[in-house]
Amino acid sequence: MGGGRFFPVWIGILMFSLPVQGAQSPGFETDVLPIFRQHCLQCHSDQARQGGLSLESLEKVLAGGDSGAVVVAHRPLESRLLVLINSGGMPMGGEPLEAGAIDVVRRWIEAGMPGETPEAPVPAAAPPVREREVMAAVLGAKCLPCHGRRRQEAGLDLRTREGLLKGGKSGPAIVPGKPAESLLVRRIQAQEMPPPRLQEQFSVRGLTSVEFEKVQAWIARGALPDPEEPPQANLGQAPPTGSKAREFWSFQTPRRPVEPGVKERDRIRNPVDAFLLARLEQEGLEFSPPADRLTLMRRAYLDLVGFPPSPEEIRSFLADSDPRAYERMVDRLLESPHYGERWARYWLDAVGYADSEGGVSSDEVRPHAFRYRDYVIRSLNADKPYDRFLTEQLAGDELFDYKAAETYSPDQMDLLVATGFLRMGPDSTYSTEQNNLPERLDVVATQIEILSSSTMGLTLACARCHDHKFDPLSQRDYYSLSAILRTAYDPYDWLSPSMGCIGVGANCNDSNTRLLPLPSDSELREVEEHNAPFKRKIAELERQLEQKAQPLRKQILEEKLAALPESLRQDLKEASQAELDERTPVQKYLLGKFAETLQVTQGEILQKFKDFAETYKEIEEQIKDEKKKLKDKPKIRALYDMGGRPTPTRILGRGEYTNPGDQVLPGVPAVLNGELTPYRVEKPDWSTETTGRRLALAKWLTQPNHPLTSRVMVNRVWQHHFGVGLVSTPGNFGSTGARPSHPRLLDWLAREFVDGGWSFKALHRLVMTSTAYRQQSRARRHALERDPDNLLLSRFPLRRMDADALRDSILRVAGRLDPTRYGPADELEIKPDGEVIAKESPKGYRRSIYVRQRRSQPLSLLESFDAPLLVPNCLKRPHSTVSSQALQLENSQLVRLSARHMAGRVIDAVGEDPSRQIERVYLLALSRPPTAEESAKAEEVLGSLTREWKRHLEVEVPAEPVASKAEWLALASLCHTFLNSAEFLYVN
Amino acid sequence: MKSRQRHAGAGSRPEPMDRRTFFSRVGDGLQGAALATLLGTDLLGPDSLLAAGSRQVYDLKKQDPHFEPRATSVIQLFMNGGPSQVDLLDPKPALEKFAGQPPSRDLASEIRAVREAGGLMPSPFKFAKHGESGIEVSEVMPQLAEQVDDITVIRSMFTPHIAHESSLFTMHSGRMFPGRPSLGAWVVYGLGTENRNLPAYVVLDDPKGLPINDIQNWQAGFLPAVYQGTRVRSEGSPLLNLHPREEWPNPVVKLSRSLLRHLDRDHLSRHPAEPELEARIAGYELAARMQLAASDALDVSGESEATKEMYGLNDEQTASYGKRCLMARRLVERGVRMVQIYIEGQIWDNHSALVKNLGYACRKTDKPAAALLKDLKLRGLLDQTLVVWGGEFGRLPIAQQPDSGEVGRDHGPSGFSVWLAGGGIKAGTVYGATDDIGYKAAENPVSVHDFHATILHLLGMNHRQLIFEREGRSERLTDEFPARIVQDIIA
Repeated sequence: MGGGRFFPVWIGILMFSLPVQGAQSPGFETDVLPIFRQHCLQCHSDQARQGGLSLESLEKVLAGGDSGAVVVAHRPLESRLLVLINSGGMPMGGEPLEAGAIDVVRRWIEAGMPGETPEAPVPAAAPPVREREVMAAVLGAKCLPCHGRRRQEAGLDLRTREGLLKGGKSGPAIVPGKPAESLLVRRIQAQEMPPPRLQEQFSVRGLTSVEFEKVQAWIARGALPDPEEPPQANLGQAPPTGSKAREFWSFQTPRRPVEPGVKERDRIRNPVDAFLLARLEQEGLEFSPPADRLTLMRRAYLDLVGFPPSPEEIRSFLADSDPRAYERMVDRLLESPHYGERWARYWLDAVGYADSEGGVSSDEVRPHAFRYRDYVIRSLNADKPYDRFLTEQLAGDELFDYKAAETYSPDQMDLLVATGFLRMGPDSTYSTEQNNLPERLDVVATQIEILSSSTMGLTLACARCHDHKFDPLSQRDYYSLSAILRTAYDPYDWLSPSMGCIGVGANCNDSNTRLLPLPSDSELREVEEHNAPFKRKIAELERQLEQKAQPLRKQILEEKLAALPESLRQDLKEASQAELDERTPVQKYLLGKFAETLQVTQGEILQKFKDFAETYKEIEEQIKDEKKKLKDKPKIRALYDMGGRPTPTRILGRGEYTNPGDQVLPGVPAVLNGELTPYRVEKPDWSTETTGRRLALAKWLTQPNHPLTSRVMVNRVWQHHFGVGLVSTPGNFGSTGARPSHPRLLDWLAREFVDGGWSFKALHRLVMTSTAYRQQSRARRHALERDPDNLLLSRFPLRRMDADALRDSILRVAGRLDPTRYGPADELEIKPDGEVIAKESPKGYRRSIYVRQRRSQPLSLLESFDAPLLVPNCLKRPHSTVSSQALQLENSQLVRLSARHMAGRVIDAVGEDPSRQIERVYLLALSRPPTAEESAKAEEVLGSLTREWKRHLEVEVPAEPVASKAEWLALASLCHTFLNSAEFLYVN
Repeated sequence: MKSRQRHAGAGSRPEPMDRRTFFSRVGDGLQGAALATLLGTDLLGPDSLLAAGSRQVYDLKKQDPHFEPRATSVIQLFMNGGPSQVDLLDPKPALEKFAGQPPSRDLASEIRAVREAGGLMPSPFKFAKHGESGIEVSEVMPQLAEQVDDITVIRSMFTPHIAHESSLFTMHSGRMFPGRPSLGAWVVYGLGTENRNLPAYVVLDDPKGLPINDIQNWQAGFLPAVYQGTRVRSEGSPLLNLHPREEWPNPVVKLSRSLLRHLDRDHLSRHPAEPELEARIAGYELAARMQLAASDALDVSGESEATKEMYGLNDEQTASYGKRCLMARRLVERGVRMVQIYIEGQIWDNHSALVKNLGYACRKTDKPAAALLKDLKLRGLLDQTLVVWGGEFGRLPIAQQPDSGEVGRDHGPSGFSVWLAGGGIKAGTVYGATDDIGYKAAENPVSVHDFHATILHLLGMNHRQLIFEREGRSERLTDEFPARIVQDIIA
């Protein structure tokens, strides 16, 4: 392929490089435009204007796009256009430009971008700096923690141009036209602002020289406001890729299709079968024969509750001669409390639930997240309608006047807990190093990705930096949705996820944390009672420490003061000793100015006084011990409107805060507006300050005829039952996603789901009582030929248990599954060899959903069986077969010990008789009795195993009787083999 | 036989292996052969390709590169923490002149611990020219200095973030956040392995602890799990669960395995059309063979006394890192594609006590790293093994905590040094430069994407064509970022 590829390049170089000898520079019309026409205008024409850039005329090239200038005269290396074509970053998704063509563009830029001919070079004047480039991109990023909504240090508010002009206690911050006389410029010049000693704490940095120049240039030109149209609602200009985009299947309202006719009428149990069978019959296929009862039973159990039936349940099901015994079993399972535990897992995957912050950080634990997990489990068990479920999670805080309420009913509390949905993504902004504006914008993007993929199957996050390449989703759509979240996620006014409120730019109290307090109730009282004695102890220890430190601190301060000029010494001393509210303005000024000097840190004391350091270490150790005994105050990890006026949301060029564009209003993707009632915000008239933006989103999203909400959800439910969704890309219903395998079935289910009151349980019942679900999994030859990948469901798919079901099932059959539900997540334990397991309770281990889910520390067993990383969420778990799985099941301590437990329980249940033991092992692990042949084989192996263990133990001489221990260990080895077997691992 | 294309050209999709092809292999009497090709196989559930009625099989089978490679394996000596370029490989005499002066506005705007920042600080270490190339190396890397004619130093690397976490993710996967496949995962996805009995991508972490970001440094992200780095311990059981904590008597193991085979074959006969079940059985067989192969590959006790001495195995300071370097050589010798060696905690993260702590880091690693180069060269392995040394960023040329008596340096992502050797790399050269004071890449800056593209290039792969299709998106290591091959460092 080498020669052929390079040939045209050579021609290109020859063609384009020859004229250079004559020292003639390329002209725009003659040389450059033809290249743009061939490679760029598809997206950067006057009409398409991707990224706000048109390359159709010289004037427009010089005007640049949303992200600013694309060419800089005489400076090819700084010209973004050239950098991008040089690296192959542009044309996006297309063939890179030939070297010759790139060279033409480069020489054209070097020559200063001449127009038609070099005679008429166009001087490329730097465009004037706009207000937003200063207000939003520089001051907004660096000053607002102290001069913003929460706090106006020195009376100065830097959120708006008006605030700058009005200024603070020291007068106006700027003098238009005179940067040198502007206080703002002088303070920045002197590197006093942002104050170096506060930068780390507030996660801001000093201005770069480019930023500083911008501030000065804008003031020099008069600090003019941007001419700006008022923002318009996002009601949908035609999507950039043309109105055809609206006709894409998934943007159409789902309508209930007519049930198709089929030949084999007697195999139709409900309409689901009709749609599937009609398709099968088209291919000359039919449903497979029904699976036998026990296969079906195991399938239903693993599907609905996540572990196999017990031998007793099997026996009573077999004894049930009611023709509707299967349907009744499905009903029983749907009523089981374990149903919610099983299906909550899928929802938690979709929303990216974790018990830790994840992201780029030390992965701090989220001690209060579990309430949201419990809320999901309870809601599913109660069969909460999906529209309600979604509304609570998007806007539970906007459903009642929670700040006015003195106590919350359990339902009301759930409304606040539910909003944790929008707080689940990875978020490392609690670390001051990861709490700068770009990282905050990343967190918002993560939430939009989770929200749009899980509820609408849209890849809207792609439109953060540019209009979507394949779907009719614009940057405006992305930022309109981000404006809905702005009242809770304001990158310019951030609530840190940290318990310690680090870097939020205000005093730490309940008004600026993401945690809402529980109103006084028994849970709270219980914790307080528990904590009281420890708190007293801690306070006492701290008092002792302070008593010892105080004179030492004073001594150091004296020394420091002594080092200052005589004239200052006395004043400073008085100032520092004056009561807080009695300080004169001069004293306050002095203290501010010399804050650094007057501060005596613990470190200084420790370094200077070694004796104290020893005591200090001792007492600190005690305090730490006491603190460990404290219980966390119960709090709700919630999302709520912060109140006040949120910062306006702007479209950001390339998704970067340094490129602020037009303002947008809260809104939803325009392409979906077709038949829906438009998004409309109504502000509730409550004492709780809230905008109603998210409630409006919930109302818009849960309209019965929404084209995506119901389709996306029924598709995922289908996927969890059959392994593959009707749309095999559950998070992408756009043009690059898969098309539905059975479009009419999908629409029928969507309508049925909505018309039936958005009931999950009704949907399960419908699916599980169909003929399709009850087929056997063994593939017949002709089905394999015509439906090799089972896309048409000519059989039930054979599936491996997912990670959670596998772990829970192993523990369950071993009798080690602690059934305790809800509450704080179980802690992890890391073994010396790196294996991560859950901490054991006296009753064994709880279900995987109750184990602390730390993004950086997955349980080893779950990890090797494809539990997702949740970065940020997961709508379809990957499914792999790798040798580390074999190593896990064969050698891990968890499985080995479980096998011993299982053997113990078997002996307890049926005694010494090997054939009864084997029957029990089969029932426990495989949910069926063995055939005579299987029983004989297993018995023979068990006999040999017993002999070998006996031989081994006779050498070791254990404390226990050799014979019975050997029998137990042999049975454990047998159980271990069954836990490793494919039949255990797979669901037929 | 034409190998399956994993490296789609622009616009084309990888050629999938559909179920029928699979059966034709299993069904035509090649049962044994089919099983052999399945070792380490990873079968993915139907993804977007399903629409085309096919199923992609992902495995570690050896793949042809796009073009003739210069290197067939990589050893990455990952110096996590951020080694200080101006004290190791990038001498800046100008710092003497400016000593104590406050930094420029731009440098100041990049400082992490603003309150601890001091003025510009010259290196406390002396630099001297070495070898025929005359490359300047600091006195704390005397052993590397002797091998300097075999390496290329890049002095103009940069990353976009001052925090370890973000820059570690960037150096590994090109992006500042977790969730994307690491370089090593892409490499084994693209090339497979030469030895099916060992993991293709091995990570030798320090027994004293994992680096920041833990196991996420070698994750496969959205690539199938089979491409994830396998953590191999240099002490104790090398692989997690390679052996059980308590061994069963041999005859018991044999009986159990034979019963398992029997049960699984029986199960398979009831589900004859499930390739995944075959793969699972093969997975168990591989696991058994791996127990032997891994133990052999990692056992350095049979190496000669001279070799042990060369790697510093007899010296307490160098023994731990030396052992892992020696293991790395044994692994690439056996066809392992990618080996990464990490170093304990944050020994390069010298916020304080620069002289003492940087000295410690160098004493621990300098000799073993140099020995690895020497040894690979001696055995003729250096030609096809690319060795890469470097951290996630460098350090600022200003002092941190200047008044503490234990002065150090803070993180500096805007310009730092790495070195490369072997596998198609020019010998004895320096590429790129930082500014006068060693703060920012000024000449021929090399981005992480350039760095990744160049490594893939040396392995015979075009970074624009190494593609993984995911939910309708063509994913690449360098994503949509500008990335160039640094031709000037290639021999």
